[in-house]
Amino acid sequence: MGVVDFGNAPRSAYLHIPFCHRRCFYCDFAVVPLGDKASGLEGPGSLSIKAYLDLLHREIALVCGAAPLSTVYLGGGTPSLLTPNQIKDLLNHLRNQVGFQDGAEITLEMDPASFNKNDLEGYVEAGVNRVSLGIQSFNDRFLEILGRRHRIEDILQACNWIDEFYKSGRLSSWNLDLIQSLPRQNLLDWETELREALSVGAPHFSIYELSIEPGTVFERRERKGEVLLPNEEIALEMMTFTSSTLSGFGFSRYEISNYAVPGHVSRHNRVYWSGSGWWGFGQGATSAPWGERFSRPRTRNGYRAWIESQEEEGLHKSLIAGCASRMPLDEKLMVGLRRREGVDLMHLFQQWGWSRDQSEEYFNSLERRWGRAMLEGWLSRRGWRFQLSDPYGMAISNQVLAEIFVWWDSLPEDAVVVSIP
Amino acid sequence: MTDAPVSRLRNFCIIAHIDHGKSTLADRLLQDTGTVAGRDMQEQFLDNMDLERERGITIKLQAARMNYKDSSGENYVLNLIDTPGHVDFSYEVSRSLQACEGALLVVDASQGVEAQTLANVYLALENDLEIIPVLNKIDLPGSDPERIKQEIESIIGLDTSSAIACSAKTGLGIDEILQSVVDRIPPPADLVDRPTKALIFDSYYDPYRGVIVYFRVLSGRIGIKDKVLLMASQKSYELDEIGVMTPDQSEVDELHAGEVGYLAASIKAVSDARVGDTITLLNSPADEPLPGYAEAKPMVFCGLFPTDADQYPDLREALDKLQLSDAALKYEPETSSAMGFGFRCGFLGLLHMEIVQERLEREYDLDLIVTAPSVIYQVNMLDGDSLMIDNPATLPDPQKRDSIEEPYVRMEIYSPNEYNGTLMGLCQERRGDFVDMKYITTDRVTLIYEIPLAEVVTDFFDQMKSRTKGYASMEYHLIGYRKNDLVRLDILINSEKADPLTTIVHRDKAYNVGKSLVEKLKELIPRQQFKIPLQASIGSRIIASESISAMRKDVLAKCYGGDISRKKKLLKKQAKGKKRMKAMGKVDVPQEAFMAVLKLNQ
Repeated sequence: MGVVDFGNAPRSAYLHIPFCHRRCFYCDFAVVPLGDKASGLEGPGSLSIKAYLDLLHREIALVCGAAPLSTVYLGGGTPSLLTPNQIKDLLNHLRNQVGFQDGAEITLEMDPASFNKNDLEGYVEAGVNRVSLGIQSFNDRFLEILGRRHRIEDILQACNWIDEFYKSGRLSSWNLDLIQSLPRQNLLDWETELREALSVGAPHFSIYELSIEPGTVFERRERKGEVLLPNEEIALEMMTFTSSTLSGFGFSRYEISNYAVPGHVSRHNRVYWSGSGWWGFGQGATSAPWGERFSRPRTRNGYRAWIESQEEEGLHKSLIAGCASRMPLDEKLMVGLRRREGVDLMHLFQQWGWSRDQSEEYFNSLERRWGRAMLEGWLSRRGWRFQLSDPYGMAISNQVLAEIFVWWDSLPEDAVVVSIP
Repeated sequence: MTDAPVSRLRNFCIIAHIDHGKSTLADRLLQDTGTVAGRDMQEQFLDNMDLERERGITIKLQAARMNYKDSSGENYVLNLIDTPGHVDFSYEVSRSLQACEGALLVVDASQGVEAQTLANVYLALENDLEIIPVLNKIDLPGSDPERIKQEIESIIGLDTSSAIACSAKTGLGIDEILQSVVDRIPPPADLVDRPTKALIFDSYYDPYRGVIVYFRVLSGRIGIKDKVLLMASQKSYELDEIGVMTPDQSEVDELHAGEVGYLAASIKAVSDARVGDTITLLNSPADEPLPGYAEAKPMVFCGLFPTDADQYPDLREALDKLQLSDAALKYEPETSSAMGFGFRCGFLGLLHMEIVQERLEREYDLDLIVTAPSVIYQVNMLDGDSLMIDNPATLPDPQKRDSIEEPYVRMEIYSPNEYNGTLMGLCQERRGDFVDMKYITTDRVTLIYEIPLAEVVTDFFDQMKSRTKGYASMEYHLIGYRKNDLVRLDILINSEKADPLTTIVHRDKAYNVGKSLVEKLKELIPRQQFKIPLQASIGSRIIASESISAMRKDVLAKCYGGDISRKKKLLKKQAKGKKRMKAMGKVDVPQEAFMAVLKLNQ
């Protein structure tokens, strides 16, 4: 590798492990299902996994010399399909190439029934200190509907092991992933699930509402009229219940779908909402080292060819400091407003390069578009800081965010051009 | 170029119904006379507006000069003057007919005579034009020239023994048409030595040269060095250019009686050189202008508002520019508490309105809210005054009115007789008074009704077409005003009166219209974060109500780092929808809702 000046390099990295046992019915991610018996070490799928890891190592090698990382996130897919040794090799390689800061947050996504206690021990020894467990539901009926491979007993067992590591201080934090507003789910179903989820002791929750994506099994079923989702009224009640219940248990809703008790906010997650950069590695992975996003090819062959071209010609232009552009202001507002603390408009406007006068002029036209939401208190203002209210402002966030794009399109061309500061 | 003697000139137009192949035939004539080389031929050469091409209809007149050597070897100059084929533009048709001595009546050999064709043929007969019947599309399997000939004879009373069968598509019969133009259409009267009179039959605005005027010299001559006087506008000009259309404009020194050409004279707006005006020479003017000049009067009115108030100055500028090239377009500022600043605009008809709206959006990049079309009502006040009202929202209170009169048209509908029932039903629903029903042939009928114009400018045409599978055609003209029991129907959105949705309806229909209007609005207005009551009222009496339930949530919760792109795409789509909406009080109302009254039957 030639010497590349990585300048103000990102402090976060996302590694994509695309393999899964099966594709869940709601999933439209870049994943490769290998069958229920697959494993990273031997047997079905293992060759494919090894070949992929080889490519991933080669991609990581391209960024040698960048700034040490403060957060690493191994996501998927099902990264816990990989053996502890495979995870260890990946993290070691990344540490050697890029470096880790002291106390770096290193998260591994895991699925119940894809690992045992020894594996967990191995992952922790490899350097993992935070686990995100994708349980999605606490009800066997819904697990079946979602096409998940595990059941409640698998969840409970996994939670026990993780909690043990957490209590003994070997994991600094952990998260449960849940989906609400499932087909035929009623409010009582969800209340029960959420209470059970709270009982296992995780200090962080990511709770998403089911959305039907193109190309998924759910979409096909929906077209045939087989997916009966809770109506808006009920979905809103679920969301409100979630927010108020978790807040009663000391959780703060620090982002539309993320809740944490004090000290357990995911540092890696926050990078996405703050508009700072992150590295991304792996097939189909998105990176945004300097704010502008770049997505890798979603197929294995495409990804291999891309790596080969990077090795020959040097890194893609958007991955090199100086050639890369920033995250556009409209996007920064879009992601920033998802956070509890919202955004400081004047700060972002001036950071974008507008003068004070320009900022105030452009703000006036945005304020006109936001008038209604502000009047009703769905969007609150303190100085230049704007925040969505919880729960209703967050529940109708699209209405507020869409106005940003209407406003953005109405601005003069020279005001919206992406420029390097 | 202009040494063509008057006896060797032939001026003619083509009368045809939409789709009967007028443009294709015109193209073919240009090609066969070598006026336009085959390789330069764009399909439908004479329709040179994009909009016309897309719709396959002719709105704007064009003209072309062709050189033709006939079978005996003599050289002729043939001027083809194309006519618009839509009822909105019948005044322009009558002007262009005056510029001709003859007309080709083109009838589709399988479809037969249609209402618009007939109206234009009568106009041509009134102008003493020699009419040559041409049966087009003779190559199509469904063609039945004998039956169509019979139809022409029985409806129009034209001798069809020498009708020409042709196919503009394959080229069959084209030479025969050209030869018969020479043989049967008389040359113009030789009035070269009389005082100069030329008829303006079209004009358009060119941003670089000012208005380009198309004219026919009826007597005398006009040369490049002459100063001209326009007799109706009383404006005089020095000429920058004078020439003929081949069909591209090419300059000549002089044009004399019988010839057709164009001139440019740095004229600022088409309203200064209106269709129908007479051109004469400033130094030796004619005593009298040509008869029949009239200013096109708008019949249909609507409000135009920018969705974004900031675009108001742009809209004004765009209308100013459009008016330079469209003398029939009228507008004046309108302010509405609900809609902010906009314009009340007058049009010749619905098609004209659509054309203007589309040009504003396409050529000037404006996002517009267009309110439902209205006609002009005459309101007789108790104090003896009478007011002309083109905006339903400004109708005076009932306590002050004595009566309301509305414009009526005489409507003729041509259709296969199997649709009699449904068409009569339609006319009755639209408050039509039956006048007559005539059998044209054994299976085709004319229905004649007198019907309020207000009922025609809604979706009458679309309804007629859909009820008759497209077979019926219609034609109408204004016959005067009639008193009716009309009331003002207001719409309240979220308890606030929505001026642009106010309509004037007959009392007997008010309840049904009010009910279906609020139902339609319920479909068209997207749900918002609060409940929205919708009501229809006459005065203070609510006659129908509905409500739009509140939107409870609109969030895309799942949003991982890489998902930003997709989320942004979805939000941008939402943003696009918002751009097409107008805030009325607290409620965002989409463009379609303002036209709801046109969609009540769908």
